[in-house]
Amino acid sequence: MSDYTIIGKSEKKIDSLSLATGACQFTDDFELKEPLYLAQLYSPHAHAEILNIDDSEARKLPGVVDVFHYQNVKPVLHTTAGQGFPEPSPYDSVLFDMKMRFIGDRVAMVAAEDQKIANNALKLIKVEYKILEPLFDPEKAMDKNAPKLHGTDRFTPIGATYDSLKNLAAEVEIEFGDLKKGEAEADFIIDKIYHAHYGSHCAQEPHAAISYFDEMGRLVIVCTTQVPFHVRRIVSKVCEFPLSKIRVIKPRIGGGFGGKQEVLLEPLAALVTIKLKRPAKIVLSRKEVFQNSRTRHPVRTRLRTGVKNNGDITFLEMDSLLNSGAYGTHALTVLSNCGAKVLPLFNKIENMRFLGRSVYTNLPVGGAYRGYGATQGYFALNQQLDMIARKLDVDLPEFIKKNHIQVGETSKIFEALGEGKEGVVQYINSCKLDECIDIGAREIGWYEKREKKLTNGDKVKGVGMMVAMQGSGIPLVDMASAYMKMNDDGSFNLDIGATDIGTGSDTVLAQIAAEVLSIDLEKIIVLSSDTDRTPFDVGAYASSTTYVSGGAVKKCAEKIRDQILDVAAEIMKTDRNNLELADGKVHDQKNNKCISLSDVAVYSLYTKNQFQIQAGASQFVEQSPPPFIAQFAEVEVDKKTGKVDLIKFVSVVDCGQAINPKLAEGQIDGATVNGICYALTEEYKFSENGNLLTKQFRDYKIWTAADIPEIKTIVVESHEKTGPFGAKSVGEIGINGPMPAIANAIYDAVDVRLFKAPFTPARVYREMQKTGCQHY
Amino acid sequence: MDGLFIINGMQHRLDFKSDERLLFTLRKHGYTEVKNGCLEGECGACLILLDDKPVNSCQVFTASAVEKDIKTVKGIGNLYEPHIIQKAFVDAGAVQCGFCTPGMVLATYALLQKNPKPSEPEIKNALDGNLCRCTGYVKIIEAVKLAAQMIGKGGDRNV
Amino acid sequence: MKELHWYYPETLADAETLVRQENVLPHGGGTGLLLRNLTGVDSLIELSRLPLRSIKVVDHNVEIGSACTYADVVEKMAEIDPGHILIKCLHHSANTPLRNRITIGGSVAMFPPWSDLMGALITLDAMISLTGKNSGDYSVLEYIRDKNLRANSLITTVKFKLLPRKSAHYREIRTKSDMPTFNHTVLLNIEKNKIVDCRIITVGTVLKYTRLAEAETYLTNRRIENIDVAEIGKLVNLKFAGSHIDDPEYANIKAGIELGRMIQQMVRS
Repeated sequence: MSDYTIIGKSEKKIDSLSLATGACQFTDDFELKEPLYLAQLYSPHAHAEILNIDDSEARKLPGVVDVFHYQNVKPVLHTTAGQGFPEPSPYDSVLFDMKMRFIGDRVAMVAAEDQKIANNALKLIKVEYKILEPLFDPEKAMDKNAPKLHGTDRFTPIGATYDSLKNLAAEVEIEFGDLKKGEAEADFIIDKIYHAHYGSHCAQEPHAAISYFDEMGRLVIVCTTQVPFHVRRIVSKVCEFPLSKIRVIKPRIGGGFGGKQEVLLEPLAALVTIKLKRPAKIVLSRKEVFQNSRTRHPVRTRLRTGVKNNGDITFLEMDSLLNSGAYGTHALTVLSNCGAKVLPLFNKIENMRFLGRSVYTNLPVGGAYRGYGATQGYFALNQQLDMIARKLDVDLPEFIKKNHIQVGETSKIFEALGEGKEGVVQYINSCKLDECIDIGAREIGWYEKREKKLTNGDKVKGVGMMVAMQGSGIPLVDMASAYMKMNDDGSFNLDIGATDIGTGSDTVLAQIAAEVLSIDLEKIIVLSSDTDRTPFDVGAYASSTTYVSGGAVKKCAEKIRDQILDVAAEIMKTDRNNLELADGKVHDQKNNKCISLSDVAVYSLYTKNQFQIQAGASQFVEQSPPPFIAQFAEVEVDKKTGKVDLIKFVSVVDCGQAINPKLAEGQIDGATVNGICYALTEEYKFSENGNLLTKQFRDYKIWTAADIPEIKTIVVESHEKTGPFGAKSVGEIGINGPMPAIANAIYDAVDVRLFKAPFTPARVYREMQKTGCQHY
Repeated sequence: MDGLFIINGMQHRLDFKSDERLLFTLRKHGYTEVKNGCLEGECGACLILLDDKPVNSCQVFTASAVEKDIKTVKGIGNLYEPHIIQKAFVDAGAVQCGFCTPGMVLATYALLQKNPKPSEPEIKNALDGNLCRCTGYVKIIEAVKLAAQMIGKGGDRNV
Repeated sequence: MKELHWYYPETLADAETLVRQENVLPHGGGTGLLLRNLTGVDSLIELSRLPLRSIKVVDHNVEIGSACTYADVVEKMAEIDPGHILIKCLHHSANTPLRNRITIGGSVAMFPPWSDLMGALITLDAMISLTGKNSGDYSVLEYIRDKNLRANSLITTVKFKLLPRKSAHYREIRTKSDMPTFNHTVLLNIEKNKIVDCRIITVGTVLKYTRLAEAETYLTNRRIENIDVAEIGKLVNLKFAGSHIDDPEYANIKAGIELGRMIQQMVRS
């Protein structure tokens, strides 16, 4: 379909052989000379004030070098959210606080000669607590007499709504059209409440950071981050250390999914190295990752929709209550995205209201997580659509096709609701959602299975579907840049701030450069994410890398191409317009001559009018073209026990031009299975006092290969004119589907609506037992 | 304590603490291709072959592995001479972040040694001790099939 | 923490002497020891060099060396009796690498509430052979009940009779590599379409394991065409507790339904 040479080809991921042979290094793999090992002491109380800390016994333990806590570390208010500056998250954190806001909040840190000593020293720190009444129910967080988590010194740097007296970390409200009119016009109204639950990213590599001073006295931090440039900025602020003296290096990263878009450990390691002038290392245990790092924000969504009997949706009102946990990291932006990434999909609805509130509770802290609010929002919207279609007695895929946004159309939501601030007017340039729906319906056997309740003994089959869009970067916020130079042999260095956390972005971005220059991928030498060596990039989040960073690389490579052609024209004594790059050579069409890129490089470096062929380029985006997806589930439900078996799951995605189809499929496969586990088995369970009970893989169940049913991912290519070679994004969107698609499939099988996940056998069984469940 | 170990075909005398897990002994002595993912025997990132059998090195006391044969992913192939399984993982697009890959590759190696033509359920069951959050296992399962095929066709190195 | 001393005996006689010392524990695969606190333990006896890794059949008696791993048992029992209950219990227990480490002896000594092994050993009337202070053979129930038997003693073999029995194992799990919330082990002796003997053990209840005596009574001496599966479910009255069980009442309902299904499958085939 395209005449590209490298774009659209499943080139091998450039670091994959090194990873498969164990040669690549991750943060914890780097050797440090006599580092200090760090261990953190956590609050055993959900809500408490520290009255005193006595660290004298800990300091006496041989091998303990220092102990850090509120009495000896200067408090600098900041957010740990690794976002652009000024961050849209409230400044409600300090490294060591006097107040503890969840079981697992940081009390103190020990630096010792080995990890065991550091861990043992924690037990010797005596902490006197004044226990405060905890707040666990987000619905009660804004009550007058609710315990208050944060003091009035906390604030938001962007001036968004924030009220610590109401435990309100963020609030968003938009409305257009006339809701009253929409209500009056409706023949029926569906009003339901949905609960999306806590989740852990479960990146296989736990968070880690190491720091040391290099031979020039500059602080080097190697860390598991999605956002190296934000790390540099936030560490500089929190540790009050000059930014110019900090270098952040991202090595290979063992998965992020949003969990590493958080600046948690880097300031701790830096603090130790700055104070003690020694290398430091901090690595989280799996339990710490579950409890003390970041999670998916649980969201309670109340969704009201009015519908006419002819199928018109007359109004939609979404009320999202986000449980931010103890701190407000990403509380505003995830909240915004519950609406912003969800509601524009149904742009025919004239009367809409979105009310979002993020509240503090004494529970683990939410953060960025693949899907970023859209997952929570689509859980509600897609079940509601299923109900509407059933009530109207129309085919759900056809109903969706009539109502979703199309090429050339816009939605008022785009303008009204951005990520934490107003959005951007945006028209859809590319959308093959109809095709995705048709292919998916065929692949799952929709018309053979829907409402057929195919039964085998106690087991009944059902099918369900959903649709979603996401975005491609944050418009008017995200910026990425690239730098390239040409070497003697016609190879090129490509230096990018973009952050490959296992996604394959190094490969995809190299493919973009190679396509522009018509050379083999091996000729591109990628260096990414080193704040000293590579130009700025916001990092790996918001489904931005291919679209935004890819745009920067394309621009940069085009500048290089122009310089190559200029030099070649000089060498070949011809008009530049006769020249063209192909197969790694410069061709003179008119005179039927060609020279190699190496000839060009050698000439420019050594022969005449010497200069370095080099260029830098930035990409700043004004649009965030959404990818689209249709996802289908087939389940078999045990009528007697409520056990749900997933038989097959189909995802059909329009991500624009897939730069590397295999890597694009891999993103969808991974996101989908993550979403499936989240829908069926993953769960944060708490004791009555707010202690997390599921902080090991043996309790918090994610699936292994042995659990995987048939997973089918199909990429439908479209061309997005604003994206590099027509590309949009693909990283997040796939995670949105499993929860609603499976819920809809369960309903199709056994007429039971699941408003709360995970859909465990016990939960489904209990719902089936309830009488009078509504049958639509 | 110290003891002899045969690691990737070479004898080494390593020092270790009496209650140390083999994972930490190996990592401390530079075998950082053995990854630490959970310390509960659930994720398989630290999987090694101990006397040719896949085990979680986090679940093994080093003292109990003295004088035994240990294989890490570097013992079956390297960047310059990769094993067919490693190539198959690359070709199938089964490597995303790569943190689980050493364990996955070794679990595959152990499977194909016992069963050169595994069915899909046999492949899935053989990988039941290895978690991956990036790939959804789809391309990993394809990689194992591909490796079996490549070996069946008499690839350049036998398992 | 003080240093542990490791012993590597090569003969059972040496092992017996060592196990009689103070504050010493046998080490099989180590997976159980890693879950417990080793404070108070001075030394560990590594069992892998002892002749305890074989499985023998002597006169219709199976003798499993205590250092055999779950994987060993699955592999070797498949040669002895491919349909044996132990294979059904152990072949999906934990996960592949753990099955290469978890030993029979360790599992018997530890008996965790998620054990896939113990239900089978109880239904099989297995005998546990010890060496050391409490040298001798004990029934598995005796061994479970009398914690004192563990002291200064090492499990050498687990023995049981090879009997023609229909058998089934059910694990209540969330994912394939989960530790079961509970598991059922059932042995049936069916003669001329009549159940003449029946053993049902559920592991994972508040009592750690429960013998389903009422269901056993219902089934014993019953002709298979007279079995009412729903009736079996009603006879299951198990208590579950613990933070890993959200809905104990449901767990019991599930246990009943699944037991009924097991019996139905077994008498049908």
